[in-house]
Amino acid sequence: MKTLIVDDEPLARRELRRLLGAFPWVQIAGEAGDVDEARLQIETLSPAVVFLDVQMPGGTGFDLLSQLDRPPRVVFTTAYDHYAVKAFDVSALDYLLKPIEPERLAAALAKMRANMRASVLAGPAISTDPPLEQLFVRDGPRCWFVPLREVSVFSAEGNYVRLHWGKERPMLGRSLTVLEEKLDGRRFFRANRRQIVNLELIQTVELGEGGRLYVQLREGPEIEISRRQARLFRARMTV
Amino acid sequence: MSNGRKAVADGLLRGLPAPFRLHVGRVKLNSYARPVNQRRRSLTHVHGSSTISVAGYPSSPTRVSAETSFVYWVLQIIVWSAYCLMHISGEVFFAMMPWSKAVTVWGAVGAAHVSCTHLLRGLAKRHNWLMLAPAALLTRVIVGVLLISLACYLVTIASSVAVYGSPVTPVMDALYRMLPPRTRLVDQFFSSLILNVLWVAIYFGLAMQRHRYRAELRQVQLHEAWQAAELRLLKSQLNPHFLFNALNSVRALIADEPGRAQEAVTQLARTLRYALASGDEDLVTLTRELEMVNDYLAIESLRLADRLEVVREIEPAASTMRIPIMLVQMLVENAIKHGIAALKRGGTLRIHARLAGSELIIQIVNPRPTGEIAEARTDGVGLKNSSERLRLLFGPAAKLHLDLSVSGLATAEIRIPT
Repeated sequence: MKTLIVDDEPLARRELRRLLGAFPWVQIAGEAGDVDEARLQIETLSPAVVFLDVQMPGGTGFDLLSQLDRPPRVVFTTAYDHYAVKAFDVSALDYLLKPIEPERLAAALAKMRANMRASVLAGPAISTDPPLEQLFVRDGPRCWFVPLREVSVFSAEGNYVRLHWGKERPMLGRSLTVLEEKLDGRRFFRANRRQIVNLELIQTVELGEGGRLYVQLREGPEIEISRRQARLFRARMTV
Repeated sequence: MSNGRKAVADGLLRGLPAPFRLHVGRVKLNSYARPVNQRRRSLTHVHGSSTISVAGYPSSPTRVSAETSFVYWVLQIIVWSAYCLMHISGEVFFAMMPWSKAVTVWGAVGAAHVSCTHLLRGLAKRHNWLMLAPAALLTRVIVGVLLISLACYLVTIASSVAVYGSPVTPVMDALYRMLPPRTRLVDQFFSSLILNVLWVAIYFGLAMQRHRYRAELRQVQLHEAWQAAELRLLKSQLNPHFLFNALNSVRALIADEPGRAQEAVTQLARTLRYALASGDEDLVTLTRELEMVNDYLAIESLRLADRLEVVREIEPAASTMRIPIMLVQMLVENAIKHGIAALKRGGTLRIHARLAGSELIIQIVNPRPTGEIAEARTDGVGLKNSSERLRLLFGPAAKLHLDLSVSGLATAEIRIPT
């Protein structure tokens, strides 16, 4: 399992490296000391797991994740950060408190491994450039890894995108057009200028005036498909 | 509690209502801790569904008083209309008087009772009788009850004379037929007195109960607030972020560099001991404070490695001056936290101390991220408390100032008159 260690303290990195030495199946691909270096390393090495410190010069671990298009699996590490721990707890993210206890580390790694096996079994065969499967999203104190197949609608709001994900409506700091390029075209469809819908979550389709279509999404709103896009939609759905 | 500590505690407790703050200096945490917990449990048990919440303070007094005054008026009306109805029916059925006359007389008497008791309650509330010692309260209540009974008695006589032409009401005549008329008149007084006494006993009994409950509640809240403040103070002295990071560094060193690890443990122990001792001392020499700062910086440079460089310029004359304990330490901590540690390449921390004229001037200068907004800094409370502490210990001429006017640079300056 390819692993990256991100921490601004050399001693903390050394300690984590030593602790991870007890797990021969964990391969440490690299280390990074700040957010920019870490982003570069993640993009070039594409590690399976990142151990990520929260407080770093030039930005926090959360900042790093929200900058990434394809966030890897992450275990946060922090010495004492009341707010961060709160954020982890409300968001059900994995974290380890420094000094790291070997037992906790073992448990976190075991969980990670089980998750990866499950996703490999469930997922499709790995292609060269797999479409985006999850996004890291922050909304106030809460953050999530949002599985994209559960998102029913992406709505543009200015330069941002609002996700309709179950009961949550988190915002993503990216434009809809940029996001669209990264989404799986087989699953997501541009309904109109401002919205992208998840085809797999469509419940009903109704005909509207002038060739428009109205789709009702499971756990989501009703979305209008513009006239131009409706033609495309029909073509795709009636193959 | 010494002045410096008190200043810090006062700062922490600034948000509390005035009566809470007054006692802070005198409260001993340990001696109260247990009884408070026990009391709290019993309070929550008894008043589990009460609108007064123990944790969510301050409780809403308006809602409570609105509720109690509603209960008060309901009871007031029920009690006195029962009293009047009893006499009216007595007068109609035993003394064979017409309804209209009976209602007039006893209506007036009932109104007199309601207003007299209400007046007494108002007086007790306005002059806070419940705060008085038991003897003083009892005297006032007894005198009060006698006076209002006399007033009610006079109203009874007056209305009876006006309606029936006799000072003794017909119902009294009917009930106490065996007694001579003069005794009946006296008895009429007692009938009014007994009811007023009963009323006052019930009213003040309930009011005192509630008063005591509220006092206990406030006590609990006071202690909770004080405990929270004490905990915050302790936390700020021990600085958990530093502590856990230091432990992590030491853990990393143990395997490869046991010598450095041992040294680090010693430095950490000295730092902690100093921070804990700061609770008992107000002033230390600059030399002693800087010894501690050096230990602290040694541990931080384990963590920050080559990112931290320290330059010290201490005039020998300045080093024997006395300064508030932990003051320089706090500024150095801030310089690291918001300055050096937040910079990728780190930087140089400068500590200057000199005597200029009749002042000791200490400066802590550090680089900081340029984009940082001064308002966003979380050390504002610490700085304010330290300024206050300085002022209390050395008077208004002593100053602490954090200068963030130069982009990318922070300069903290302490000026203490010698």
